[in-house]
Amino acid sequence: MIKKILVAFDGSDASRHAFDLANELAYHFKAKLLLLAVVRLPEPATSLELGAVLDDAREHYTAAFQELRDRTNPRGIDFTTSVEVGHPAEHIVAMAEREGCDLVVMGRRGRTAVGRFVLGSTSERVLRYAHCAVTIVK
Amino acid sequence: MTSVWALAALWLGLALVATLLAIWLRISTALSEIVVGTVAQLVIGAFLGIEALGAKAPWVTFLSGTGAIVLTFLAGAELDPIVFRAKWREASGLGLVAFFAPFLGCTALAYYVLHWNVRASWLVGIALSTTSVAVVYAVMLEFGLNRTEFGKTILAACFINDLGTVLALGFIFAPFSVRTLVFAVTSVVLFTLLPWLTPRFFKKYGGRVSELEAKYLLFLLFGFGALAAWADSEAVLPAYLIGMVLASTVGKDHVLIRRLRTMTFGLLTPFYFIRAGSFVSIPSLIAAPLVGLALLAGKMVTKIAAVLPTARALGYARRESLYTTMMMSTGLTFGTISALFGLSHGIIDQAQYSYIVATVIGSAVIPTVVGNAFFLPRHLLPAQPEPEEGAPDGEPAAAAR
Repeated sequence: MIKKILVAFDGSDASRHAFDLANELAYHFKAKLLLLAVVRLPEPATSLELGAVLDDAREHYTAAFQELRDRTNPRGIDFTTSVEVGHPAEHIVAMAEREGCDLVVMGRRGRTAVGRFVLGSTSERVLRYAHCAVTIVK
Repeated sequence: MTSVWALAALWLGLALVATLLAIWLRISTALSEIVVGTVAQLVIGAFLGIEALGAKAPWVTFLSGTGAIVLTFLAGAELDPIVFRAKWREASGLGLVAFFAPFLGCTALAYYVLHWNVRASWLVGIALSTTSVAVVYAVMLEFGLNRTEFGKTILAACFINDLGTVLALGFIFAPFSVRTLVFAVTSVVLFTLLPWLTPRFFKKYGGRVSELEAKYLLFLLFGFGALAAWADSEAVLPAYLIGMVLASTVGKDHVLIRRLRTMTFGLLTPFYFIRAGSFVSIPSLIAAPLVGLALLAGKMVTKIAAVLPTARALGYARRESLYTTMMMSTGLTFGTISALFGLSHGIIDQAQYSYIVATVIGSAVIPTVVGNAFFLPRHLLPAQPEPEEGAPDGEPAAAAR
């Protein structure tokens, strides 16, 4: 029985598809949806860029969450949202554990080998370390 | 004018490439611009001539200098005056330790081990004494410590650390004379007046499309920059201090800060960072790679030796102390500003400049790359002992996460 679903959301098409799937599952299982966005700062952070990135992220996710809420309201599915700052995989794995989630649903970006080495693959890391089932949506 | 427009197009083209690289690799734009500047100088210098990039053209120097000044002003304006007033004792203690240890340690390393001359040794000490407030703040955000009193104290300490850097840069190489006295007295008088005058002036005439606020601030920055240069000091010194004294007024004006950011990001800092990168000599780095490594080790060891025990004494848990100490070892902006100051004033040569910039970049990049390559969620790491007495109350979850 799935009671809590964590959706990792970054505004990309893949994460929107992940949200749609989680939305369907939440409707069928009457599960609670938790939506998590993680702001990853450029490294190493500089004062000027850090403030700008945080401001942009705040505006971006406020608008994106509202749009998703408008889409789910007719079906009576509500969800909680949170925005964290830092390493995405770290926060997803930690929140899934902390909240006792049964499923993590997230999109996959498909980086190159170099990109994976420099940035790491968030989905692979969540898959490796999460305590619960993980669904990766392409 | 054709050559000026063509050169401007070339520089903005390089800035565009740097921005795309920063987006793809999710690294800071500043770091990307420095690297693009270095590579561009190497390639363009090899094919079109060493002066083809025009890094020494007066208008490029002006835009670059303005970038450094505005960047420094904005860094100073990030200060939280309320926390600073409440925690100035602890912050000053930690900040001064974090400044003096690498400053004196790296100066000694350069002088006694690398056998650089006295002025070059002082300069490398200054360049490697900095701490990146932004990097520490990013770590605080991730740990959730930015909301705690202790996190705020650490951030205030970073401002003290950087204040030490800009004061050292502004005064160590300045010949103390009547001009220095005039600069110091004028600064003290005007810095006392500005927090009172500025908000009233903005309230009466600001908020219009003519961007009076930006013009006022640039007037102050250029005016104080000229005064500092006249006294043989450095323009970033008053810029940082103006930022700090206006932090409670201008720093809180979100709309104004965003406008200044746009101007700085879009036009000024690309010229500053690309120019800083263009002076890096790859052949010098290849010829003596151990120099950069020695300086990097010197900076890390002195920072750790000074900051770690101080942070532990203030009640920070071991892992957070270590992590914060590592992060306090980075200093991209003031590191390059100090190095560029040394190069442009003939205090260091191009090879020494290259080692310093490479060290600054290395201190910023290596922890990041290592962290990403060997990623392991923090909560799966071996448990640490409970925070000792004296740790901030009510924040154990955030601190231990």
